[in-house]
Amino acid sequence: VVPGETALAFYKAKNPTDKPIIGISTYNVIPFEAGQYFNKIQCFCFEEQRLNPQEEVDMPVFFYIDPEFVEDPKMAKVNLITLSYTFFEAKEGQKLPLPGYQ
Amino acid sequence: MSTAMNFGSKSFKPRPPDKGAFPLDHFGECSAFKERFMECLRDSGYESGACRQRAMAYLECRMERQVGPRGAARRGLPSRGGEGNPRWRRSQLMANEPLEKLGFKDLIDEKSEAKPEK
Repeated sequence: VVPGETALAFYKAKNPTDKPIIGISTYNVIPFEAGQYFNKIQCFCFEEQRLNPQEEVDMPVFFYIDPEFVEDPKMAKVNLITLSYTFFEAKEGQKLPLPGYQ
Repeated sequence: MSTAMNFGSKSFKPRPPDKGAFPLDHFGECSAFKERFMECLRDSGYESGACRQRAMAYLECRMERQVGPRGAARRGLPSRGGEGNPRWRRSQLMANEPLEKLGFKDLIDEKSEAKPEK
């Protein structure tokens, strides 16, 4: 992936149970310091998504790495940025906390 | 350990996507486009830049797919109060956006240059 160029990535999720699940996902970027350069244009996250029983779906993320990444000396040795998502089951009335780095 | 002073670098704030969430493609309407994109990635050794045409095709597929309130139920989306709810009245797998604004300007320019003059 070239900083500044938009890119597409796919994750896959499956609901292995026999009941529909409504979930919300949050994301994590490693290394931590690279997270500020990671810009999501559109993704499946931050909103409730419903997976029917046994359903498997593709989950796209459309993003780009901020071109300023190449100018940050702290990023000079960073060749690999890992984006991961965790799916939580949404509970009634629960507000999604923005992913934090506590 | 990182220092407390961070001249010239941005502070990290987790943030939602610029253009919101993709509805799930429950019926796999754009799966073929996704497969072609993934095939390209595998063949190119996972060079994202080499597969931008197919990424663009996938996003175009999403933009062409509409779903109304009944469609929303068919797609297994949670029902949110029927026709009166603007959020579910008309939704697509992706909101229409000019491809030039999604970072594909150079590919669009190439396409129009390749078109023969009438």
